[in-house]
Amino acid sequence: MKSSESTLAHREAGTNIIPERKSTNAAVKKKGLSRKAKDNLAGYLFISPWIIGFLGLTLGPLLFSLAASFTDYNITSKMNFIGLENYKRMFTMDDLFRTSLYNTIYYVIFSVPLTTAGAILLAVLLNQKVKGMKFFRTIYYLPAILSGVAVYFLWMQLLSPSTGLVNTMLGWFGIEGPAWLFDPEWTKPALLLMKMWSVGGGMLLYLASLQGVSSQMYEAADIEGATAWQKFYHITLPMISPIIFFDVITSTIGSFQIFQEAYVMTENGSGGPGNSLLFYNLHMWNNAFEVFDMGYASAMAWLLFIIVMILTVLNMKLGKRWVHYEGGDGK
Amino acid sequence: MSQATAPRFYETKKFKENVKLTFVTLLLIAGSTLILMPLWWMISTSLKSPAEIAQYPPTFIPKEFNFSNYVEAWQTAPFTRWAMNTVFIAAVGTIGSVLVNSLVAYAFAKIRFKGRNTLFIIVLSTMLIPGFVTMVPQYILFSKLGWVNTYLPLIVPAFLGSAFFIFLLRQFMMGIPNELIEAAILDGAGHLQIWWHIMLPLTKPALITVAIFSFNGAWNDLLGPLLYINDESMYTLQIGLQTFKGTVQTQWHYLMAMSVTVLLPVVLLFFFFQRYFIEGSNISSGTKG
Amino acid sequence: MKRGLAFILAVFLLIGMLAGCSGEQKADAGKKTQDGKVVVDFWTFWGSETRRPIIEKIIEDYNNSQDKVFVKHTFLPWGDIWTKNLASVAAGNPADVIINDINTVSQRAENKQVEELSKYIDDSFKQQFYPHLWDTVEYEGKAYAVPFNTDTRLLFYNKKAFKEAGLDPEKPPATWAELEEYAKKLDVKNGKQYDRVGFYPLWGSVGASSWMTNADSGKGFIDNGELAINTPKKVEALEWILGWKERLGENTVQAFQAEFGSEQANPFIAEKVAMWVDVGTFYTQLRDYGQDLEFGVAPLPEYEEGAGNWAEGGGFVAEIPKGAKNPEEAMDFIKYLTGPEAQKYWAVKNYDNVANIEAAEATIEELKGPDKMVYEATVKNLEQTKMFPVPVEYPDYHSRINPQIDNALLGKTTPEKALEKAENDVEKMKKK
Repeated sequence: MKSSESTLAHREAGTNIIPERKSTNAAVKKKGLSRKAKDNLAGYLFISPWIIGFLGLTLGPLLFSLAASFTDYNITSKMNFIGLENYKRMFTMDDLFRTSLYNTIYYVIFSVPLTTAGAILLAVLLNQKVKGMKFFRTIYYLPAILSGVAVYFLWMQLLSPSTGLVNTMLGWFGIEGPAWLFDPEWTKPALLLMKMWSVGGGMLLYLASLQGVSSQMYEAADIEGATAWQKFYHITLPMISPIIFFDVITSTIGSFQIFQEAYVMTENGSGGPGNSLLFYNLHMWNNAFEVFDMGYASAMAWLLFIIVMILTVLNMKLGKRWVHYEGGDGK
Repeated sequence: MSQATAPRFYETKKFKENVKLTFVTLLLIAGSTLILMPLWWMISTSLKSPAEIAQYPPTFIPKEFNFSNYVEAWQTAPFTRWAMNTVFIAAVGTIGSVLVNSLVAYAFAKIRFKGRNTLFIIVLSTMLIPGFVTMVPQYILFSKLGWVNTYLPLIVPAFLGSAFFIFLLRQFMMGIPNELIEAAILDGAGHLQIWWHIMLPLTKPALITVAIFSFNGAWNDLLGPLLYINDESMYTLQIGLQTFKGTVQTQWHYLMAMSVTVLLPVVLLFFFFQRYFIEGSNISSGTKG
Repeated sequence: MKRGLAFILAVFLLIGMLAGCSGEQKADAGKKTQDGKVVVDFWTFWGSETRRPIIEKIIEDYNNSQDKVFVKHTFLPWGDIWTKNLASVAAGNPADVIINDINTVSQRAENKQVEELSKYIDDSFKQQFYPHLWDTVEYEGKAYAVPFNTDTRLLFYNKKAFKEAGLDPEKPPATWAELEEYAKKLDVKNGKQYDRVGFYPLWGSVGASSWMTNADSGKGFIDNGELAINTPKKVEALEWILGWKERLGENTVQAFQAEFGSEQANPFIAEKVAMWVDVGTFYTQLRDYGQDLEFGVAPLPEYEEGAGNWAEGGGFVAEIPKGAKNPEEAMDFIKYLTGPEAQKYWAVKNYDNVANIEAAEATIEELKGPDKMVYEATVKNLEQTKMFPVPVEYPDYHSRINPQIDNALLGKTTPEKALEKAENDVEKMKKK
């Protein structure tokens, strides 16, 4: 902790960013507002845009969907209270519900660690002092910019079993590639592969975070003879841990909500060969907009809410053990 | 730096460094090829004639380069107008997003106020319900407000904070030493000044990231404009792209040409904005001892 | 803190300003044009360079034909158009006319998403349309939409390949047995690989369900409210498809499917497949990209002689969303849109099958050469085309049947067991 003071001093000496206003301290005291009250006021004032948005735009629709989950709401004409019927139906009548939950959990379990590790690795690589780094960074970020149906059609071609680029390249190493989107065993790995391709979005977060790691720390470690792995493990990882924490939580939430890929890449959003791509949200979508059973879809949404909420809170609790906040407090 | 070491050692270190950099470069080049291959398919399709696209087996390099596809595709619909609309929505939204989210995030990271942790959990929880379940009630709400067929449903939410960005910026801001803020407060600075003069400069790379993400998000948004805009003159590029997809036949050459065109501004923006990443690293040199 | 307040106020002022600007824009999107015509909002998904000018010409003609109504066309992307429709019906500000799927009209009627139309129409209006199409728009004896266009499936075959294989190019296969016999002769193998595949029942615009209903005398999965999924003929059809798959081998099937899955190149046009099932409009692709191709068309082969060449049909209807502001004017426009003049224009320009009988026949008269030949075949084929509207009791029955068919085709279960399970699953989901 001792050196943080010195950097602080250095920083203030180097950059005089705060205008001199010595008298205000006394003025505040005269007004009689305690620091605590002032902080409360400032805190709420600062988050007021979010509060207005939450109360004005988000909360109403959220509560509406919660209420709808106890009804037979069909969007246009019906909304009768039916108690827990929708929730009961998920576990007793709807066999596709289980399939969709299984598919989604499978996807989450693989995609979260893979994309997190991939993004960190890529960010570290792209943080080296290599010539033309601007170009490399742009190229790796490109897939994250692309969106929409064109990308999915593109991947359908790349994953073509006999002449697709992916299997052609596997062939160079003597590996006979699978049928990807046509084989129920390989459809989810195919989506994971596609996800890895666009890992550049996550990379950007880590790259931004790596800018906060000082080169002096590495130099100090070099003098002590640390290996590359030791430097990564003891310096880089702790420094970017707040962003890893963020990435893990948001990508867990995002992966649970995977929808578009499956919707576009399977015929009529049907869920692919043998329902292997029928994800939770796809099943929900079909219920909501194909069958107009929005009540049931809302119930599914709120069950998912509970599942992901538990995971998120768990993550936050665990996070206290390994997330290192340079600012001093993790509370 | 290594003033006390012998020249021979110095040389080996430099040599090691060079080997490492060469290795990294090669790795990056290999990876780039993988990333660019799919994009090449897009570009090559955008230059082919419809007849060549229909050919089997597909050609990797177009037999002739029909750059006119780009011009023709642009002229099939009022794309100039739609491009201007998109730029407007994305630019205004991005400004709002960067300012408001960093303001809210600052409060969650650095101001101790009552109920902060509970409120933060509520912020996170808004990410957990899939959008299409709340889509219809939200549409009804905007419709009651008289906002349908205006850009308000697309722009106003950006000024009211998004859970994802608030969380992201909070994470970055928690890495800024508390002592810095305490010192500023002792100097008589208010939170707004601290936010403006200390936080924003110190989290520049993060703000750029948020700006890139929000711009990109607004730029690629299809469902939002589609739901809320009824006048074709107010459409955006993403809706425009959909005109090439037919029920019977898709005009692949136009679709790809326009896809590349739509991609280009975002790529350029990213390319030029990333210099702030490097600048950012100069300001916030580390604090850990 | 004062500056804080000022800043936040400024943000809201900006929002308010934006609201102000766009509020004005809203005003001119009112219900009437400057010269007092009623504005009818018309939503379609026809935005492509080929279709948009055609529909807009029809609209222009209509707008010029009278001085009370002005139809305003809005393009919305395929698929999303109906999501938006649903949201706007729920919010009470829908379009006045929308194009929607023909096989789900009764579902929308049941859920009160569309206006009932019987007060605007009489028997003579109804008789303008093909009866099998009109049936789909009625729910509990009342009409909720008007058929606009439709399609049907034909067998396209490569005459040059027929000659090479020693087959008579004027005698396409008429039964499943002949189809198999011809296909074997048309196969061209190069070692283990196929240079040309004679036929494969699941390629083209056709699925397993089409063959299953074709075998079962045109009976769908749900026939007059009764489940008919696990029938002997349907099991047999599935086994038959499986037979094709075994003959060609999994790899060949997958390779072809994936190659052409992106909808860019077409294997029939590339002469990699000699016989191909597709809808009538497929002809326009042949005409534009298959210059050297000599082809013929025929109805789908029948299961056995006398069983019928049943094909599956689809299409679109024009309807008035529930809560539309100008239903009467909307109906007036729908009548024009589905009338002989507009329908003929659409048919000739798009080469599409239209719902209006008079228009379809006039189109045959107008076309020439191969255009006429194929179009006439599609119109004739409508007699043997079945529509399978989704019954309200089983809203998404496909989602229970398709995975089972997939499993059977992947060899994970037998066709018999698959269809038994499918029938059970569909039975379970029945809505009261």
